[in-house]
Amino acid sequence: MTKSLTARLLGTAALALATTTTAHAQETATIAALYNLTGGMSSIDAPALNGALLHAAQINEAGGLLDGTVMLDVVGMDTRTDQQETATAAQQAITMDNIVAGIGFGDTTFVLAAAPAFQEAGLPFVTSGATHPMLPTWVGDHMFMTAFGDDDQSYAIADYAFDELGLRRIAVWTDDSMDFTRALTAFFTERFVDRGGEIVGEDFFMMGDTDFSAQVARLQAIEPVPDGVFVSAIPGEAGLSVRQIREAGITYPIVSGDGFDTELVSTTPGPELANDVFFSSHTYRADDRQVVQDFVAAYEQRYGVPPENAFAPLGYDAIGLVANAIEAAGSTDPSAIREALAATRNYDAVTGEISYTRENMVPPKPVAIISVQNGEFTLIDTWFPGDSD
Amino acid sequence: MSRGAVVALALTAAGTLMVWLATALFDSYVQTLIAFAGINVILVVSLNLTNGLTGLFSLGHPAFMMIGGYLAAILTFPANRKGFMLPDLPVWLAGQQWDLLPALLVGGAGAALVALVIGFPVLRLRGHYLAVATLGLIIIVSVLMRNFDGVTRGALGLSGIPRLTDLWWVYGWVVVTLLVCWRIKHSSYGRAMLALNANELAAACIGIRRARTRLLAFAVGAFFAGIAGGLWAHQVTNLTPTSLDVLLAFTLVVMVVVGGQGSLTGGVLAALTLSALSAVMRHVQQETEIPGITQIVLALILILIMIFRPQGFFGSREPSWLTGRRAQGRTTSPQTTSR
Repeated sequence: MTKSLTARLLGTAALALATTTTAHAQETATIAALYNLTGGMSSIDAPALNGALLHAAQINEAGGLLDGTVMLDVVGMDTRTDQQETATAAQQAITMDNIVAGIGFGDTTFVLAAAPAFQEAGLPFVTSGATHPMLPTWVGDHMFMTAFGDDDQSYAIADYAFDELGLRRIAVWTDDSMDFTRALTAFFTERFVDRGGEIVGEDFFMMGDTDFSAQVARLQAIEPVPDGVFVSAIPGEAGLSVRQIREAGITYPIVSGDGFDTELVSTTPGPELANDVFFSSHTYRADDRQVVQDFVAAYEQRYGVPPENAFAPLGYDAIGLVANAIEAAGSTDPSAIREALAATRNYDAVTGEISYTRENMVPPKPVAIISVQNGEFTLIDTWFPGDSD
Repeated sequence: MSRGAVVALALTAAGTLMVWLATALFDSYVQTLIAFAGINVILVVSLNLTNGLTGLFSLGHPAFMMIGGYLAAILTFPANRKGFMLPDLPVWLAGQQWDLLPALLVGGAGAALVALVIGFPVLRLRGHYLAVATLGLIIIVSVLMRNFDGVTRGALGLSGIPRLTDLWWVYGWVVVTLLVCWRIKHSSYGRAMLALNANELAAACIGIRRARTRLLAFAVGAFFAGIAGGLWAHQVTNLTPTSLDVLLAFTLVVMVVVGGQGSLTGGVLAALTLSALSAVMRHVQQETEIPGITQIVLALILILIMIFRPQGFFGSREPSWLTGRRAQGRTTSPQTTSR
């Protein structure tokens, strides 16, 4: 036992040294990028890391930050969709040389396993994709969000469903295994009922379910027929649920949030069945701002494929926020970066302008409403926070 | 003083020195790695009681960890934040804020209690019922925690658990676990467990009480899993219904098999080796930037071990220098020392 422990300790220490030794004349600002590159969350997190790496490469190719004295080094860390790995990676990150900030994750659960370590170490952590509006409140003043809050995106699709689609009676399906999907349902229901709509049926499924026939049967049994169904799901179940609802001959609109922002919604059901699906998501798809066009072109050039989903530009924007804060702070001191991050106003991000003006530090961002017809995604409306408050 | 006690004391002292060195020399990252390795040791050694010694096949450790983890975390949770984060806690509990040790003990006891309730009917049956029952238990506990919103914060889980676990806590529990399991293995209970494993009918014929012996192994294992769950929760500072899943159960079973079923030393070595490998691979992956290489390499190594050393590191034995049998001159061959 003792022998093995010594060997292990020495080995790990040596490796830790080897990986973090960076002795350049120029100053290096290390940003740890914690993402679930393998496991269940990888379809969300892998594109986000690609976006982050792309932005860092662009900044370095353009000569770095602070008049070329600072180069960015983004260290991608795979947390394997595992919270123990996440906690370990966070500890590794905060002990790296030249660490100035951390970014990462498209899901609240993993942020909560990692961000407190950064908070304790006095390092800012910018989540690219997590959307729980209470995150900064729970973690503390070193926690920043790139995306909008779940409340905003739920309100956006609830308003659109009520005003534009004219839905009044709606059934709600919820993935009961995730906080994100449950929060989405809670905020959607709150807004939809507030507006005068009615929830005519509630049903649940679990992450990993592939057969929705029981839920479809119960949906068909609702009398009179609902005007639409809200499906609170993440990408894995998004495509399957759309397919099985449409295969059962149900034609009324399916509405959802950014968990539906995946090619699977058109590829799994196929173009004939991927119809009348509406979801709220991050603005960038079919957005004609120059920064969006440039991002999509650069991503395609570097990776050979267009951005897989909205988490790619969010990863890009997370690095953008940190880089912007380093410029604004004029230094790579983590406390100065935190101050500058908190003071961010009108940062022109790919996913919409970011300003931390709210007390809960959730950026009020425009929300895109995307429609899927014959498997084609189109931006049909943009919702602004406070639109119909 | 017997030779066994001397060896145990010497090992404990050496371990204490190393933990002291580790806390003095290493940063929080390496300390985290060591802490998780230690928690794995507790888990593997305690799982060895059922899956190794007694020949039962339990997958229940993640469920017991969840029970122990949630109980301990709710007890240590800062009282001033309990009110709004866990609104459905009974009033007498909401004002409490315990120290780590009593919270861990309550967590372990809770897990052991659940093990007794599950084990009482299931362990009377012959066959692989325990595997199915414990697999179900993981799902039941996970669903319960997910839907007990006001007490467990549902799918979001408990976050902001105080970071109370440190190397000393983990090391202390490693020592206690090893001591208890070692004593059990080398007591008449342990012999009864081994006998049940070797031949159930023959064991019953010589008067070994099957259900009671199995229940003891199962409940003691669950107690330490509950403790490990509490340590885990106060290390990660976040505990959700999906934190500890069936994948972890299989990882632990793999560690038991690699170490040798029934060998405590083997369990310790396997837990440390696989934790270390995983830590090394994390750096390899970060250098090579090939996601998934960790899992592939680990799986390959396991397959190789199973091909070339199917009985694991030690079989069901302990190395002879630990048991002291050779020193007492009973046998000379290390192959037969421990049984």
